[in-house]
Amino acid sequence: MSTITGGRLLGAWGIAFLALLYLPIGLILVYSFNANVVNMMAWEGFTLDWYRSLFGLPTSLGRSANYVQSTATLLAAVRNSLLVAAVATLLSTVVGTCSALALTRHRFRLRPLYQALLVMPMVMPDIVLGIALLVFFVGVGLDLGLHTIVAGHCVFLSSYVFVIVSARLAGIPSDLEEASADLGASPWVTFRRVLLPQLAPGIVGGALLAFIISMDDLVITYFIAGVDSGTLPLYIYGILRRGIKPEINALAMVLLAFSFVVAATGLWLRSRRQ
Amino acid sequence: MSPQRSRSLALAGLLAPGTLLLAGFFLVPLGIMAVYSLLSPGLYGGVEWEFYPFNYGRVLGAPLGDVEEFDPVYGGIFLRSLRLALVTVAVCLLLAYPAAFWVSRLPGQRKPLVLFLVTLPFFASLIIRIYAWMLVLKPTGVLTRAMEALGLSHLAPDLMFTEAAVVIGLCYVLLPFMFLPVYASVEKLDPALSQASADLGATPLQGFLRVTLPLTAPGILAGCLLVFIPALGNFIVPALLGGAKVMLVGNTIEQQFLAARNWPFGAALAMLVLATILLAMLGLALRSRRDAGEDGRA
Repeated sequence: MSTITGGRLLGAWGIAFLALLYLPIGLILVYSFNANVVNMMAWEGFTLDWYRSLFGLPTSLGRSANYVQSTATLLAAVRNSLLVAAVATLLSTVVGTCSALALTRHRFRLRPLYQALLVMPMVMPDIVLGIALLVFFVGVGLDLGLHTIVAGHCVFLSSYVFVIVSARLAGIPSDLEEASADLGASPWVTFRRVLLPQLAPGIVGGALLAFIISMDDLVITYFIAGVDSGTLPLYIYGILRRGIKPEINALAMVLLAFSFVVAATGLWLRSRRQ
Repeated sequence: MSPQRSRSLALAGLLAPGTLLLAGFFLVPLGIMAVYSLLSPGLYGGVEWEFYPFNYGRVLGAPLGDVEEFDPVYGGIFLRSLRLALVTVAVCLLLAYPAAFWVSRLPGQRKPLVLFLVTLPFFASLIIRIYAWMLVLKPTGVLTRAMEALGLSHLAPDLMFTEAAVVIGLCYVLLPFMFLPVYASVEKLDPALSQASADLGATPLQGFLRVTLPLTAPGILAGCLLVFIPALGNFIVPALLGGAKVMLVGNTIEQQFLAARNWPFGAALAMLVLATILLAMLGLALRSRRDAGEDGRA
């Protein structure tokens, strides 16, 4: 009897936990369809105008509520974010995968040290890494811009890819690689023909997750972005510092939908069985 | 070329990119930051290249025998950040621990789906997750409206720009970091063990305290550390939900770099955050080593 009530209580707690995670996000979704231009908290009716204005389509919102100050700034921020995320993901996928291969498939003296060093950037508070990079870039006389953001993102994204690919590698027995080596294949051929086909979903999954983490990073980018290299999270942060505007809702939902689709694909690939 | 030699060449090749990246853009920047924290601030921003230990004295004061530069404001900010980070850890644990048991007892096909749902918000943009709480907590926000609808408008708390708002925001953003490690250790728990303790006459509370809790302790401690670290240095949540009233060490560091332009002092604050975190990690590592030793003897 008491275990049944206990189980029900636990179930209620679990449902409440999931609701807590998703309700606040759901609120933004609801408000993004609100037609009230003056007071966004009061529901006035359903409209798609906020989304239409996001993509530059004609709306009935009136001039006073036209989409944020300028679509050009928003588009530039989106372009910067995509560019940084693409380049940083590509580089850190290579670095993270190489490091994971070295640490899971080789035994060497400095291995524990490397292990600790490779996860440090991920564990360290963002603000510490952000200002360390700022001090460094200014100290060596590099102008801040997209290239400094890419370098900064590579540092912590490599950690994420390293952890994800290592986990995948640990689940792949090395017998096939040993057999391939015994039959005379070079390390490269063994990697390319034997290991890579098994590892590919893990690498692609890790890369997708890295891409989203890069797209969403605010704190580190905040310190190492130049004047003209603002990314999308920086742009949104700037608007929120000045107060809440209904235009943000539609933008937030588009960004969330994008993050969720890419991250869901990444999570699925990461956990897929061979 | 011998296989031995080609293997060590391969290893060197695999380690090279990570070594270059981490040495150049991680270790060297951290080293420069450490050096800056010991230099004197320049008159118009930047640094003077002279040894100046008083950046730390400004926060720590008396222990360094440096009363002149000491400003209790900074020590207070540091303590408040520690306190709010610890409260955040406690609230996250309270929310996530029972939820982890719930997920671990779900039937097979629903479990992966729920796990996926819990993990997904981690990849939602940080700034948007905080924005959601601005909508809830602001004076004319969802919370106030909900209380009005219930006829309880006189009870509606004004939480925006309070410590409570900062803790709520931090918990919401960091919850997945607590849930996942806690879940990992709850999932490994053998139900037969608590059944055995009940058969041997332990009350449910005794069973929980003596069996379940110690067995899930590694996950709890890992989760606490993973929440504590980002909570301590966070400055976006206090900037948006705490306003100027709830200054935390993260905001203070940001100010020193972008407004006050006292880089050495900002670097010293960051070093103190880093030292606190390394201490916490060291304590955890020592504890888990001790536990492993005890298991070995038993």
